Amino acid sequence: MARPSVSKVTTTTTARDGQLTRRDTLRMGALCASFCIAGDWLTTSPAQAKALGFTPQVLSSQQLAQLAALADALVPGAAEAGVDAYIDAQLNAGADSMLLAKYVGVAPPDQAGFYGAIADAVAHAVANGTAIKDLPAAMLTDSVPHWQGPPASYALFVLRADALDVTWGTDTGYAALGIPYHAHIMPPSSW
Amino acid sequence: MTFMVSPLIATDHERNTPDTIIVGAGAAGLLLAARLAEAGERVVVIEAGPERTLDQLWSSQIWARRLKWSGAPVEESGDHKVGHAFNAGMGTGGSALHHYGVWLRLHPGDFQIASDHQRGLDWPFAYDELRPYYDRVQTEVGLSGDANAEVWRPPGAPYPMGPLPVFAQGKVLAKGFKAQGKRVAPLPLAINSSSYHGRAPCQFDGWCDAGCPIGALANPLVTWLPRAQKAGVELRHNTRALRVERDPNKPERIEALVVSGPDGRQRLHAKRFIIAAFTVQSTRILLNSIGDKPAPGNRHDQLGRYLTTHPATTVFGLFDEPTLPHLGVSAGQLISHDDYDDKSAAGGWGSSQWLIAHAIKPNDLLGYATGRPDIHGPELKPWLERAAQHLGNMTVVCEDIPLASNRITLGSSVDNDGVPIAATHHDLHPDARSRWQQRTTEGQALMRAAGATDVWQGPMAPMHIMGGTVMGADETSSVTDPWGRVHDTENLYISGPSLFPSSGAVNPTFTLSALAWRQADHLIT
Repeated sequence: MARPSVSKVTTTTTARDGQLTRRDTLRMGALCASFCIAGDWLTTSPAQAKALGFTPQVLSSQQLAQLAALADALVPGAAEAGVDAYIDAQLNAGADSMLLAKYVGVAPPDQAGFYGAIADAVAHAVANGTAIKDLPAAMLTDSVPHWQGPPASYALFVLRADALDVTWGTDTGYAALGIPYHAHIMPPSSW
Repeated sequence: MTFMVSPLIATDHERNTPDTIIVGAGAAGLLLAARLAEAGERVVVIEAGPERTLDQLWSSQIWARRLKWSGAPVEESGDHKVGHAFNAGMGTGGSALHHYGVWLRLHPGDFQIASDHQRGLDWPFAYDELRPYYDRVQTEVGLSGDANAEVWRPPGAPYPMGPLPVFAQGKVLAKGFKAQGKRVAPLPLAINSSSYHGRAPCQFDGWCDAGCPIGALANPLVTWLPRAQKAGVELRHNTRALRVERDPNKPERIEALVVSGPDGRQRLHAKRFIIAAFTVQSTRILLNSIGDKPAPGNRHDQLGRYLTTHPATTVFGLFDEPTLPHLGVSAGQLISHDDYDDKSAAGGWGSSQWLIAHAIKPNDLLGYATGRPDIHGPELKPWLERAAQHLGNMTVVCEDIPLASNRITLGSSVDNDGVPIAATHHDLHPDARSRWQQRTTEGQALMRAAGATDVWQGPMAPMHIMGGTVMGADETSSVTDPWGRVHDTENLYISGPSLFPSSGAVNPTFTLSALAWRQADHLIT
C-alpha cells in the first residue's frame, strides 16, 4: 500500500470500542506519526496504532511481534508504548529515519534488512528453546544458542535504545521518572 | 574516473557571476559569507541539506537526529572510526547547529607538535598569529566564562560574559577533583549567561543537542546567518556540490562548481570558490574533482591525509546525594586542563581535558540509560529513577596523533548523483590510546573521590572530525597554504576543521571560527 503524500489526520482520543480514552492517549504521550489502520492513514501515537491494529509497511507482523517481545523484555513498557509501530514507521521513512541505528553503523537504506535479521534471529533462537525472557542476558554476552543474525550484543544495544526512546525518551517518560521535560519548543509529536 | 553524464545548464552570464561561491552553510561557511558580503562581494552559499529555522528546533533527542548527516553514506574503517553519521550535520547551520558550544582555544604547544615532539605536523603559524582572531570572534559571538579561573588558559582577552552557574552535579564532581589535587574552572561556552547582542540567556534545560531555538547557544542561525542575509547572501538549499572544474585555458584557476539540486545539474561560475562542507565532504569534493590533472591539492598525494578525531569517553557515577543531572547544558559545567600541556607525560602521549557535569537525558546515544545495556527488565525502572536524581558524568577528550595513513579516500560505490561516496580510515596511535586509557582510569578514581558508589565508563567514542585538507607552508606535506588556499590553484579555498594539521584536545569550533575570520580578513584585503 503506497503511503499518501498527505495523510488523513485524526486527533481521535475518545473511546473506541471501549479501548482508548483521552486519558489513555495522554498517558501514552503524543508519539504521533502516520500509520495505516484499516486502510486509512491516521496520525496517532504508536501505542494507539498498535491498539488499533496498524498495518505494517516494511516488516511483517510476525517480525514486529518478535522485536516487540524482545524490546519489552529489555525495557518493560516498550510493547505497550508501541515500539513495533515506531520501528516500522521509521523504516518506512527511508532516508528520514530517526532510528538511533544510523549513529552506530546502520545507515537508513540498510535498516530494514538489519531489523528484519534481528527479528528472524530472535524467532530462530526461540524456536530452538531459548525463552524471550532469557535472551537479554545471553545476547549481552553473545552467547545465544542458535543465534543467526547481527552480533547479538550489537542488536541488543540498538533495539534497547529504540525501546528507551519510546518508553522513557518522551515527556511522559520524563514525568514518570520525576524529571521536568522543560522543552524550549515542544515537538508536534514525540517523533 | 567517469561520472554519470547529464545535461549541464550554463548559468554563468558574466553580469551575474558571483564573486564567491561557498559550499556549506555551517559555522565556517556562513561566517565567511557574512564577512565577504558585508565587504561588498556578491556571495552564493550552496548547502546540501534543507533549510533549518529556529522554530524547527524541537526539544527531543529523537527529533534531534534530523540535524545530523543524512546524505550519502560514508564507508568507515580502522580501529577508531570517525563516526561521521553522529558528528556531521546537514542543513543550515551544519554541524554547528547541534554542537554543544564548548569554545576553547588551542594551547600554544598544540601548534608545534612536530618541532617539539616529533609527532604529526606543525601548524604553519604559532598561537600568537591566531590569538587576535580568537579575541575578535569571541566578542562577535559572545562567550561566557571566567578567564582568571582558567589558570591554564592561553593569553587572550577576558570573556565578554561571566560564567554559567554551577549546579549540584558540578559541585559534587568538583569535590573529586579537589580531593585528587586537580583544579577546575567554569567551562567557557558560546552560551549566553546574560543577554548578548539581543540574544536571550540560557535556561539550563539541557536541550543543546537538539539545537537551541532561543539563541542562547551561538549556533550559526543566530550568529552569522542573520548577518549574511542582511548583506544579501544568496543561500541555495538541497543542492549538492559534486566537483570543481579547472579552467582548460588556465588550469591553475577553478572555472566552475558542478552542483546537483532542485534545478538539476548545473555548472556555477564564480571568481572564487570556498569549500566549507565539513571535513569528510570537503575532501570528497576535491577528490571527485580529478581530471587530466591531479585533484586540486593532490599533486603530492596529500589530499585526505592526517584525518584526526578525538578519542573521548564519558565516565559515570551514582551518588547518594542529589545531583539533578537534568540541569545545566549538554557541554558541562566545569573544565579541567591540569594535564593539558605536558604532552610527553608518562603513560602515553598527548594532551587531554575533562569536561565535567553534562546535563544528560535518559535516552539517545549519549543517554545514561543507553550506556548500560546490562540493566534491563524489572531492574531498569528503579535504576532509572535513581540515576535521574543522583547521576554524575564527565568526559575526557584526548589528543589524536596525526598519521599520514589515516585518510579520506573515495569509496567503492556512488551516491544518487552517480558520484563516488567518501571512505575514511582511522586508526588510533598506540601512544594516544595509552593516554586515553590512563585518563579514563584516572576518571574513575576522580568519580570515586567525589563520593560515587557505583562507577562505570562508556566506550571510546570519536569526537569531532578534523584534517584531510591540512594547511601548511610545504606543499609536500599539506593541501593548502596557511590561508586555506589550495596549493595548486589560485582561487580555490578550504575552510573548516579539515584545515587543522593537528587536533589538540579541545573542541574545534572556536578555532575553525577564528581561522575563518582570519581567512575573511585575508580575502577582503
